[in-house]
Amino acid sequence: MRAAYPLERYAGFIGVAIFLGLWELAARFGWRNPAIMPAPSETIITTLTVVPLWTLAEHVVVSLWRVLAGFALGASAGIVLGIAAGWYRPVALICRPFIEILRPIPPLAWIPIAIVWFGLGEPSKIFVIFLGTFFPVFTSAARGMASIQPAILRAARTMDVDGVKLLAKVAIPAAMPDIATGLRIGFGLGFGVLVAAELIAAERGMGHMVMEARQLGHFGVSVFGVFLIGMINLLADRQLASAIQLTVGRWHRF
Amino acid sequence: MRGRAAEWLLPLSVLVLFLAAWEYAAAQYWLRPIQFPPPSRLASSFVDLATRGFPQGITLWSHAGTTIGRILLGHALAVALAVPIGIVIGSYPLVERMTSTIVTFCRSVATLSLLPLAIVWFGTGETAKIFLIGYGCFWVMLPATIAAVKLVDPVLIRAARTMDATPGIIFRQVVLPASLPRLLSGARVALGVGFMVIVGAEMIGTIHGLGSLIMEARTFYRTDITMVGMFCIGGFGLLVMFVLARLEAWLVPWQARQEAQQK
Repeated sequence: MRAAYPLERYAGFIGVAIFLGLWELAARFGWRNPAIMPAPSETIITTLTVVPLWTLAEHVVVSLWRVLAGFALGASAGIVLGIAAGWYRPVALICRPFIEILRPIPPLAWIPIAIVWFGLGEPSKIFVIFLGTFFPVFTSAARGMASIQPAILRAARTMDVDGVKLLAKVAIPAAMPDIATGLRIGFGLGFGVLVAAELIAAERGMGHMVMEARQLGHFGVSVFGVFLIGMINLLADRQLASAIQLTVGRWHRF
Repeated sequence: MRGRAAEWLLPLSVLVLFLAAWEYAAAQYWLRPIQFPPPSRLASSFVDLATRGFPQGITLWSHAGTTIGRILLGHALAVALAVPIGIVIGSYPLVERMTSTIVTFCRSVATLSLLPLAIVWFGTGETAKIFLIGYGCFWVMLPATIAAVKLVDPVLIRAARTMDATPGIIFRQVVLPASLPRLLSGARVALGVGFMVIVGAEMIGTIHGLGSLIMEARTFYRTDITMVGMFCIGGFGLLVMFVLARLEAWLVPWQARQEAQQK
């Protein structure tokens, strides 16, 4: 194997450094007006002086809790219903009309009705995140079950594996790669929905922090918040991907 | 034949039964009409919305026109920007490596978290909304373009080289047609993202558009209009997607043929 040039190996870091450097320079010598676009260094300094570390941590924890709660509910409902719909024909026939009617509605469009049903508190946000996660997970689980190679199922049947055992030991593991993809899509959607829900109606959370900072005139905090949201989403997605790799990766190559 | 009929009848009857149960429960006041307006109410609200309009006489069609116009404009700008940049990035592996971290990061920034920034930069008007849609579409389209260029079969390019084709000709006659199917499917995904973003972007600082319609209706306790609006957003989304899929089939007939051959 050819040894990579340093430039190639660290290309990602160098790219980011160039990007941040240009931004810093542009903000310091170009715009001059920090209300339009503060430099990265200013953003961090403003945030650290204006927002106490404890409050910052609280915003992050509240957001993470919401997204994890909504994701856990949406993913489990999506997996159970998706597998059931892919395995038992009547379940599919009964579920399908409702899901096909509701699926095209973007999750954010549920925010007003969620407020009417559940009020402004936590349940309405978790409900919207739940929906954002549920539909992609359901769709991919149902597709995963439908696209299992019939030969695998027949092979199992010849070995007297049938019924629930066939479902649990053969069909579900075979559909897992599709389900895992759905989980990642669902998490990304749920996270995007979370931020929007927090912008529109919340008293805590990262989305609220970004919105509130703008109203208070701490624009640097808003910019920092946007970066924080991107960072946490990225880290969470990586975490999910490696968890999937450790489990499903044992029998499937992504 | 019996199997086919059951396939239609069962879901349909379940749906009808569900609507009837909902109607009955609402008539018996088991469900609060403010939370779950009955289907008959929804139907009459739909007619009302389509003919007389809500708020201030803006009809459903006018809302939908505004929303779809915004999406298409933001989407078109994003695609126009992402395709050339993506082609450059995808053509040079070093540039691709240097930018990949930035691209991944910008993609994972939730688009709507930029709403406060967009308001500061562009005010609460149209520009801010178009910017948000554009941002969401751009970061979907850019990776799609990079992948489309990178995944062009090198055999095709080498074959063209053996025929003494100049880089310009290779680009126009080989790379572009070969990557077009992936570009178009990327554009379709981006449009879906546009639909996601617009609803949130319209919830602040406007009374035009489907997103503001459902939010306004809530503040006036017109849950019926909110529900009708939700279904309309879904319906219009499906419609636009359908048109785009047809357009795709018409623009790149060779892709459909290829897929048919592979099957």
